[in-house]
Amino acid sequence: MRLVYRAGLWLVTVLALVWVLFPFYWAFLNSIKTPDETFQPTWIPFLQFQPTLEHWRSQLATPEIRHALLNSTIISIGAATIALLLGTLAAYALARFRFKRPSNGALTTWFISQRVLPPVMFVTPFFLLMRQFGLLDSVLALVLLNATFTLPFAVIILSQTFRELPRELEEAALVDGASYFQSFLSIVLPLTLPGLAATWIICMAFSWNEFLFALSLTSKSAIPMPVIIAGAEHTRGVQFWFVGVNVLLTMLVPIVLALLAQRYIIRGLTLGALKG
Amino acid sequence: MDSAGDNRRSVEYGTDPKTAQPKGRTDRVKYLFIGPAVIWVLAFTIFPLLYALYTSFYTYRFGQRLGFVGLDNFVRLFGDVNLLSSLRVTLIFVVGTVATEMILGVGLALLLNREMRGKNVTRGIATLPLFATPVAVGYLAITLYYEQDGPINSLISALGGRDVPWLSDPVWALVAVILVDIWQWTPFVFLVTLSGLQSLSSELYDAARVDGASSLQNLRFLTLPLLAPLLWLILLLRLVEAFRVFDIPVSLTLGGPGRATEVYSLYTYRTAMRFFDHGYAAAQGFLLLVIVMLIVSVIFSRVRGLYEEG
Repeated sequence: MRLVYRAGLWLVTVLALVWVLFPFYWAFLNSIKTPDETFQPTWIPFLQFQPTLEHWRSQLATPEIRHALLNSTIISIGAATIALLLGTLAAYALARFRFKRPSNGALTTWFISQRVLPPVMFVTPFFLLMRQFGLLDSVLALVLLNATFTLPFAVIILSQTFRELPRELEEAALVDGASYFQSFLSIVLPLTLPGLAATWIICMAFSWNEFLFALSLTSKSAIPMPVIIAGAEHTRGVQFWFVGVNVLLTMLVPIVLALLAQRYIIRGLTLGALKG
Repeated sequence: MDSAGDNRRSVEYGTDPKTAQPKGRTDRVKYLFIGPAVIWVLAFTIFPLLYALYTSFYTYRFGQRLGFVGLDNFVRLFGDVNLLSSLRVTLIFVVGTVATEMILGVGLALLLNREMRGKNVTRGIATLPLFATPVAVGYLAITLYYEQDGPINSLISALGGRDVPWLSDPVWALVAVILVDIWQWTPFVFLVTLSGLQSLSSELYDAARVDGASSLQNLRFLTLPLLAPLLWLILLLRLVEAFRVFDIPVSLTLGGPGRATEVYSLYTYRTAMRFFDHGYAAAQGFLLLVIVMLIVSVIFSRVRGLYEEG
């Protein structure tokens, strides 16, 4: 009976893993198949078909793709850096000082509540405002917006990270005459470096994946990866071999980033309710 | 909604006799720390929100503001058949995805909450869909749903079923969109529930075992009540996210066939960016906000405890 139970458990796990992993494998297969073969239900390279790296080569040599990869990189790093800078300062304030009106709790909730607003309601104001400021189709606009939308994550994850840090060290420094800012820079930041790095990485991954505003505000020179795969399919029809390459090119970056920050992901995704 | 966060531990330095900092200094410093983020949110969230409200009182044609129309854009909401249809599609999507994800995710977490080999690998793999770019997932899904000899239909016919018209039939297209969301977000429910389960104290279970509780009784009277606030939070986060769905229907079906998968956000996006009817799009945005806020206000009180413990 116990054996049956364990076998059942094992079966469930394997099924779940196959369910999760198969789409990635299929994208990979499409990316190494010749155009004719992508429409065949063949599963095993070398045995059933001869794999080719031609699509990877040709996509990576396409100027638009390279430009989009560059844009995505600038947007993610820029947005995550701004969110981290602002978020670190705000999180430290929430973790170490007492605010009265509004209270710390109210401030925290105010930052979290940004996440409840439906993004689509910002399409119109951002489009009109960016047009006003001449920032349509600019990488800067997307840096600013993604910094805005990832800021709540940074504030929440980091204020918990700071709370977990014993405050005795900082207090000793303050007694010795250091300013709040000095103790923040020379004691708090070095000790929470892993948390800071993880937060930066998670904000980068979210910014990389953002699609709605990238689609609304770019038309040519600022187009990032998520938009270019959308555009490519609409003009050329769905070419499965290029879909395979583009999909993997786009997904690989945020996935690798997420695996690097594994420990902090639960905390980020639950807006700090779980320390995970 | 003001008591989230941790008040008790945020003792003000200035009041600590050991540090003996003058009180005025703390007061000024704390605003320097929190100020930049507050100003940023005011500039990039609150101001655009007010600007959207202002926009919603005007009529726009081809992106140019024409005249003040008062509440006309909001009145239009109630006679718009297409909006109603997008709301219906969104509700079906929300119920279909969130219910399935909660049942599957919580079920798997309860089942796999034990010491087993490869636990970290399993967790790592479960993380992959969460961070896979949603638009990319949508395009990838086109190749999976491909109706002639695509991998899904191949599997179905191998099991003796008939080919499913995944993307060409209105009902199946919505099912296809829902399935992709389930693929992407069930791991979220699973991972969060699992770490919630692992934070429960084992002493309670030892006590229950001494009292002769069955594992079903443990689940009913111990695990579920203890986990309830967390499960409400997961439900809340999933609902909020599901109502804003955009990327997957855009990439997988473009809202089609017809309007079968045109979700609310997609309809509003089209109102704004295809018809440049910005006043009306802004009004639609506020209706969606009201719907989401209603849900949040119903659930939030059950979740609050999680934040108060810090």
